[in-house]
Amino acid sequence: MLRPEINDLLCRTGPGTPMGDLFRRYWQPVLLAEELPENDCPPVRVKVLSERLIAFRDTDGRYGLIDEFCAHRGVSMWFGRNEQGGLRCPYHGWKYDVTGQAVEVPSEPENSNFCANVKLKSYPMVKRGDVLFAYLGDPAAQPPEPEWEAYTVPEGHVFTSKRLQECNWLQALEGGIDSSHVTFLHGGNIDTDPLFKGSKGNLYNKRDLKPYFEVVDYEGGLLIGARRNAEEGHYYWRVTPWVLPNFTMVPPRGDHPVHGHFWVPIDDGNCWAWTFDYHPTRKLTEDEIAAMRAGFGVHSANDEAYRPLANKDNDYLMDREAQRRGETYSGIAGIALQDSSLQESMGPVVDRTKERLVATDAGIIKARQKLRKAAEALQQGVEPVGNRPQDQRVRSVAIVLPADRSFVDGIGDAMIAEPSKPHTTV
Amino acid sequence: MAGFVKLSVPVGPSSCARAATSEEAAFRIDHPLASARNTRVVALDEVAAGIVREAAALEWGQARFFTVRDPGPTLVEVEGGEVALTGVLEDTNTVVMVSVTGENADAVAVIGVECGARGIMTAGLVVTPGALAGEALLQLRPYARILLVPAEPDDLVELLKATRA
Repeated sequence: MLRPEINDLLCRTGPGTPMGDLFRRYWQPVLLAEELPENDCPPVRVKVLSERLIAFRDTDGRYGLIDEFCAHRGVSMWFGRNEQGGLRCPYHGWKYDVTGQAVEVPSEPENSNFCANVKLKSYPMVKRGDVLFAYLGDPAAQPPEPEWEAYTVPEGHVFTSKRLQECNWLQALEGGIDSSHVTFLHGGNIDTDPLFKGSKGNLYNKRDLKPYFEVVDYEGGLLIGARRNAEEGHYYWRVTPWVLPNFTMVPPRGDHPVHGHFWVPIDDGNCWAWTFDYHPTRKLTEDEIAAMRAGFGVHSANDEAYRPLANKDNDYLMDREAQRRGETYSGIAGIALQDSSLQESMGPVVDRTKERLVATDAGIIKARQKLRKAAEALQQGVEPVGNRPQDQRVRSVAIVLPADRSFVDGIGDAMIAEPSKPHTTV
Repeated sequence: MAGFVKLSVPVGPSSCARAATSEEAAFRIDHPLASARNTRVVALDEVAAGIVREAAALEWGQARFFTVRDPGPTLVEVEGGEVALTGVLEDTNTVVMVSVTGENADAVAVIGVECGARGIMTAGLVVTPGALAGEALLQLRPYARILLVPAEPDDLVELLKATRA
């Protein structure tokens, strides 16, 4: 359980909140690159950390992320005309460049310098792989641009999707840290899902349904090791990294692509579940990408607005017959929706004063503690971790180790991402 | 059946669309949760005993605090009285073991085996700041279903509070 004030501290990410300030020390994914596919394409509304913004790509291919509303009369710039190096409000023709600077105010006299004094709030936005990342914080504290391995691999090695999750970001993140639910909720998927099946690790998973856990504190966040019995005198380890504040990776299976998530607050009652799959040493196959688009692995099948086709309006397409037949544990198809259906059912912001945690929730307890401490420390001027390149060169790992080895010693450099280095997987 | 729609749609108050709103959250039954965990905390060495005594000084529901030395069948309450491990475990459903130096391995094994036989959840805090491996870890690993490595001294209080001990 958490005291109400701590729950609020962790869940509220709007401007001026402690957790909002913390998030504003990190580059966050805000759009898929496909949402701004070409120069002068239509602008896109972006809501992130409870700020309403508009994103566009100008005539020269520069990305802009600016306040959604025109400085003149507060019109949404989503109605704007993206043309000739800027976004023009259709109401009175005020035009802004990618930095939010007004460059034309047609009603003013020629040679007027009025424009110079009109600037919308803007944030830097950069393309990495198939994703656009933005930084919403203090320019003076801006960290280096993101270097997550998924977004430094060669073209064709990564596929990213995003889906709307209609609950607070922390509920979604905690699902990514909570390894103990996997045996139950997702137990039916590892043998049938084209992005999981066939790995030797699946056998260990099925043979040992009561894993032990080790939660290891490390510089960028936590490493959560799930340990199962392997051959005599050996353990099968699945190691999930969490990097502050909202990045998690799932341990790999066989030669399948490896996947992970960013859990990005839209506002306090909604978030984007960003999901990536990449392979460090080869291109993804057409079949793999088709499977991801269809909602296999940890992706979901979505509508044009990136809302899952199975959502709370249709009870997530609950199939009690499939549940009875043992095809799914919860009756919901697909790992992503199995998670989000339950996390959304808690309500937009779950009341953690009423929860009843158990010892195996220690990873969640520790993550909350680290988030709280990081947010409080930032208020005292202490900069957080997780936004440095070395924090982001991290990998999840699946490995078999002798029983007497610390998994951190055992995996060694396997959790450090390097170009073209094969991932460590079973 | 003619007109049967297999996939459910929100037609009533039990649909997800209605049930998962913030408005509906306000109607959740509000009654105090009883403390469900009879948690026992055992310090496995002298340094750990300091951490456990500090935690014991706070207010708890049903948590009780002990130290132990090899060979282990007897626990020592923080107030000083000796009690038999088996008696302590009778009404217990979680045991948290705290180790700093990795001493008293026999006692850890005794506690671990007893807990395993009785279906008691075990957690271990390896309070070795800066060190990811060592005797304390190896000693606890076979017997703790979940381990925090390296734990900080305040992790014990955090864990106990979060689990309503």
